[in-house]
Amino acid sequence: MTGRFPGFGVLDQAPHWDQVTKDLIEARVRSSAQAVTFFTANERGCAHALLNDLTGQDRDDAPVPVTKLVEARLAAGETDGWRYADMPEDGRAWRDTLGYLDADARARYGTSFAEAAEADRHRLIQAVQDRSGEDWHGLPAKHVWSLWTRYACTALYAHPDVWAEIGFPGPAYPRGYKNIGVDKLEPYEVRDADPSIDPVRKGD
Amino acid sequence: MRSRYREVRARNESAWLLPNDGRRTDHRLRQDMRRFADDDELDLVIVGCGAGGSVLLQRLARAGWRVAALDAGPFWDPDADWVSDEAGSHHLYWTDPRVIAGSDPVPLGSNNSGRGVGGSMVHYAGYTPRFHPSDFMTATLDGVGADWPIAYPQLRPYYEAIEQELPVAGEHWPWGDPHGYPHRPHPVGGNGEIFLRGARKLGITAKVGPVAIPNGRFGNRPHCIYRGFCLQGCKVNAKASPLITHVPDALAHGAEVRADAMVTRVAVDERTGLATGVHYVRDGRERFQQARMVAVAGYSIETPRLLLNSASSRFPDGLGNDFDQVGRYLMVQGAPQTAGRFDAEVRMYKAPPPEVSTEEFYETEPARGAARGFSVQTVSPLPITWAEHVSAQGHWGRALREYMSDYVHWSCLGALCEFLPLPENRVTLAAEKDSYGLPVARFSYSQCDNDQALAKAAQGVMEDILRAAGADEVITIQRYAHLVGGARMAADERHGVVDRNCRSFAVPNLYLTDGSVLPTQGSANPALTIMAVAARAADQLASGSAGGG
Repeated sequence: MTGRFPGFGVLDQAPHWDQVTKDLIEARVRSSAQAVTFFTANERGCAHALLNDLTGQDRDDAPVPVTKLVEARLAAGETDGWRYADMPEDGRAWRDTLGYLDADARARYGTSFAEAAEADRHRLIQAVQDRSGEDWHGLPAKHVWSLWTRYACTALYAHPDVWAEIGFPGPAYPRGYKNIGVDKLEPYEVRDADPSIDPVRKGD
Repeated sequence: MRSRYREVRARNESAWLLPNDGRRTDHRLRQDMRRFADDDELDLVIVGCGAGGSVLLQRLARAGWRVAALDAGPFWDPDADWVSDEAGSHHLYWTDPRVIAGSDPVPLGSNNSGRGVGGSMVHYAGYTPRFHPSDFMTATLDGVGADWPIAYPQLRPYYEAIEQELPVAGEHWPWGDPHGYPHRPHPVGGNGEIFLRGARKLGITAKVGPVAIPNGRFGNRPHCIYRGFCLQGCKVNAKASPLITHVPDALAHGAEVRADAMVTRVAVDERTGLATGVHYVRDGRERFQQARMVAVAGYSIETPRLLLNSASSRFPDGLGNDFDQVGRYLMVQGAPQTAGRFDAEVRMYKAPPPEVSTEEFYETEPARGAARGFSVQTVSPLPITWAEHVSAQGHWGRALREYMSDYVHWSCLGALCEFLPLPENRVTLAAEKDSYGLPVARFSYSQCDNDQALAKAAQGVMEDILRAAGADEVITIQRYAHLVGGARMAADERHGVVDRNCRSFAVPNLYLTDGSVLPTQGSANPALTIMAVAARAADQLASGSAGGG
């Protein structure tokens, strides 16, 4: 990424975290090789491509194991505590929508979603987002988009490497903060190297 | 200091019953807790140990009642069970299956549900404003919503009592019924500073508070450390939740808290028409707790669901549902969230998310073209919640990462808009069943024109404040906040489920003592009002002929 916070490493602060939080984050980073199986092999290939595309990662060299994190949640039935009435329960919804993505890829590019070229995958994903008010394979496209992005963002922004990328120091117990207020930093926080980069302004 | 708290300590010793050795839980108090047998006929069994249930438990234990509260979730220990981490706090929410429907479905879970002793106050932001006097008579004043069967002055002494027990910190409050707070306002972080700056430029009055975090030590509760994780459960014991503000005192006065006990049905004697206790499941076993009275305090989704799941031959459509009122008039506040971008570093994750609010727009303003109003408060989303805000703008993939890398430059405000109580916004039972074999709740929600006009006006005000403070860009996400209603109090059984004292119209020894009884919601966060209503119901019970002990 752009490296706006040079030298800032969240895990460097781990000695200052309470033990329970520290254990949790360290286990998440290790993403232990415990065999979590929810997806079939086909589904996993498709999910791996989709989740890494959604989170802007290279799936062959992804710092954050988003697929494992999502699969672990689905295996444990750890939902957000609700589902839209016009969507199946989350596990079923993931399986179904991955299948539909594959079907779209075969119809348009003659290959599975996982095997499709990156630009083609992005077009297929964008097509779902663009259908916002309409159905996609019989499901409301915006509810499908909500499902995908909720799981993807929760997995991505739970990771210390990604916190470092946005300048967020992560857990703060028991130390807390001493310097609160605009432009006030703790000694271990790193100032944005280029505060005039405004992606929103640039994006417009 | 000691004399300052003498009066509150004499009626609620919770803060002094917590350990002062760095641990957050008095395990001895829990080990020594009184434990009733299922066939001990309690004076009162309470379902749910959150804002409403805990206050009722503590008050009636003090009055000498034999009382227990059953909660479906765990008896939390902040040291062992809570983390300083967003994704790791998932277990604080009610995540059993629920279905959301309607033209504007309302996400549940992390947004507005709780699980375990302390309820959703374990992870609420900590704002504890009072309702305004007008909230109790919106039908009369504005021709919308409903009039409560009680008026503001009847709740005022309970507001004052609870504000002392939490206790609440904030500036003198000029809105509604003007009042002060027991603790001075907290210093503000970057987000609060931006809000105050923008409001000052526009001539909008904004105030620091009201926040249920003592400014200073309170009993054995330490000072806030401004770590910003209020919504993940306060590991410090600084932010108030019933787990530390009412449960310890209840236990010390002989109450039982029975955690991990999922109540599945309220039992009613078909001959007498009276409640006889509750069926519940604990450790996989179905059990029955006898009681002379039952109070349900499961909040706006689970309370109606439990009543609907407690149908019998006397109540074929659900307990207390003779007039099709159970589950109806469920309210959520429209909560558009607007963020502004600054070249300076705001770092809104530092300091508690609840800092500054304005109630300048709370009352009906004819020029807005809509009845009732909204409040504006600081909200300070952590990265996962912030990613939801950013991805709602349509960004994904590498673009999302780039926008997110700008996190430290954003300030974020949230509005609470008084969306109106409508009969079709309701809980019913879905065909789907949970792990106990019980039908899950289906919550249908649709907005009306007045709601949409308020959300639009609130977004405009937040954009103006942020721009006045110097923001070069503003982005908004439409959200909801809080739940109230679903089994409201009313003057008679054709318009509500319980009377002014929270007593069921249909079953005279059944009470509802939680947010579900509120007929309107104002633009205030509901926790304080839920506690005050429960405290008032407890007073009526303790002083009435129905008293036990």
